[in-house]
Amino acid sequence: MSPVLLDVSGLTTRFATRAGSLNAVEDVSFTVAEGEIVGLVGESGSGKSVTGFSILGLIDPPGRIVSGSVKLNGRELVGLSHAELRSMRGREIAMVFQDPSATLNPVLTIETQMRLAIAAHENLGDAAARARCIEVLGAVGIPDAARRIEAYPHQFSGGMRQRVAIAIALLNRPKLIICDEPTTALDVSIQAQILTEMKSLAARLGTAMIWISHDLATVSSVASRILVMYAGRLIEAGPMAQVLRQPHHPYTRGLLGSLPGMAPPGEDLVQIPGTMPSLIDLPKGCAFQPRCGFADAQCATMPALSAGAGRRVRCHHPLAAETVP
Amino acid sequence: MMATQPAKLVEVEAVSKRFTPQVSLGDRLAALLGSPVETRTVHAVDRVSFGIEAGEVLGLVGESGCGKSTLGRVIAGIHPPSEGRASIAGVTVMGDGRTPLKRTTRIQMVFQDPFASLDPRVRIGETISEGPLAHGLVTRADAQDYVTRWLTAVGLPAEAAGRFPHQFSGGQRQRVAIARALAMQPDVLVCDEPVASLDVSIQAQIINLFLKLRRELGLTMLFISHDLGVVRHLCDRVAIMYLGRIVEIGPAAQIFATPRHPYTRALLDSVPKLVTGRDELVTFKPIQGELPSPLSPPPGCHFHQRCPRAEARCRSEAPELAGRPDAVTGHAVACHFPLADEA
Repeated sequence: MSPVLLDVSGLTTRFATRAGSLNAVEDVSFTVAEGEIVGLVGESGSGKSVTGFSILGLIDPPGRIVSGSVKLNGRELVGLSHAELRSMRGREIAMVFQDPSATLNPVLTIETQMRLAIAAHENLGDAAARARCIEVLGAVGIPDAARRIEAYPHQFSGGMRQRVAIAIALLNRPKLIICDEPTTALDVSIQAQILTEMKSLAARLGTAMIWISHDLATVSSVASRILVMYAGRLIEAGPMAQVLRQPHHPYTRGLLGSLPGMAPPGEDLVQIPGTMPSLIDLPKGCAFQPRCGFADAQCATMPALSAGAGRRVRCHHPLAAETVP
Repeated sequence: MMATQPAKLVEVEAVSKRFTPQVSLGDRLAALLGSPVETRTVHAVDRVSFGIEAGEVLGLVGESGCGKSTLGRVIAGIHPPSEGRASIAGVTVMGDGRTPLKRTTRIQMVFQDPFASLDPRVRIGETISEGPLAHGLVTRADAQDYVTRWLTAVGLPAEAAGRFPHQFSGGQRQRVAIARALAMQPDVLVCDEPVASLDVSIQAQIINLFLKLRRELGLTMLFISHDLGVVRHLCDRVAIMYLGRIVEIGPAAQIFATPRHPYTRALLDSVPKLVTGRDELVTFKPIQGELPSPLSPPPGCHFHQRCPRAEARCRSEAPELAGRPDAVTGHAVACHFPLADEA
């Protein structure tokens, strides 16, 4: 197995809100190996995006990381100064966000924005910088990059804008890219193009990725390992195919059963009753307990995430040899 | 229409919808003085015809900008068609833009975003009862019971009537929006991406609700969605739209098993599937290129620039939706070189 690139342990990120303080991320631990693609899955409010932001140190008040550590190649990132974080972001860890029209600056040309991203970390001559921009744009599948680089974001379609955002993330050849729902806003045909390209780019450049998404199918097609979050906590982790074929946590199984296609057309889907609890008012013990068919008195205490490098589950009654049809 | 032919509940006949922005006074003067003025007409829907039987659920699928929402709105009587006619049980929903809007209760709509489609200042009970009261479907004295009945039907407690939209989650709001539409006792429900903004587990709950309502009320629905998985699960028949035209229509099972149009095939291949095999290699066969602009659709078949099977004829001659587009069991495709059945 490749050496560990990122080691997140006991990460807890708290937000102070008017209604009280809540832990958007609580006690999350996982590792990412060099060149590995890890899928981080959960529904809205599960804490998956906040986990990504916390790794990059992008948590602003009223939020803060209250405990835990994030180590990149052994170097602690939690507690770094703003300047140190700035020099790390983009060079060592880059991020691609969901909405490319919100992440690109509408009044700067693509070239200007890309050159700024290079200049933040490296002193490169004009010609060399431009050449690198064009090369990276070409690598993410933008045709006629030498001409298109002079265009503004509004002259690109949504899919092309996301490609530009990915190109910017790749510019400084980071070791890790955190992708936060990068294809959610795109049409399926464009999503398929970008998924294919991202996969081959990651393989070619040896870039590790954390792929955050609510869509199990998308994640399963890019990542080799999966982390499932619920109400701020990691509840299941393991090799992708194993987890999907034989989920141990009842929530993971419920999520799989919710997918149309898991039941014959026209038949009721296996639904999870109820909704995710508010993070301010979490139930006692396991947060999934009120919606869980297996819950009993024991579930009023928080189950620990089972240890181990392979499969991990946070449940008192993990599902054994049951397979999703 | 021949008397022997079973009438469709919903008939859409050669409906086109174009949007032309208003020309400014300056441009009009310039045009009068003989200078060429560019008109940017969007051809949102282009001569679309199909029917929906009573009790049938038709899925309308396509990528963004293909005109599926516009078509839904024309059928629901929100936009007048530029050409053609949409009718319910033989009554035209809306003529051209000049005839006054015909208010109909026979068709209702459920929108994508339940945060935008419910009035934040109006209690849920009032939101649901307003329409039925205005149309005399219920008396004021019975309104409360009536609201309770529909809230129960969509799986919400009776107390919900006294609350405001912000007190509900997204999934519950979508239930309210469905209750509001159903309370009008429509013959046809047009749903525009009703589950697209919901989380997976909530989406499953709403899909199950649609299945239940269908069984209990025999709903006739036009279900607009970009999500092929949801459509396959809910719909009897499916129509695939590309850049304003229907390129393929037929029974859902057939469309998904043996698509005949290269675009349908490519769309199905683009959908990520759950990978559960140990060493399963995931390969997409993505469609090349991007959706052309509806401002200047390519000549001939709209798909020819991205189609692996395109030939000279496709570039000049638009294929008609041949076959029997109206027959319930019919599987029709608009392609000069359709895929064979074994595909």
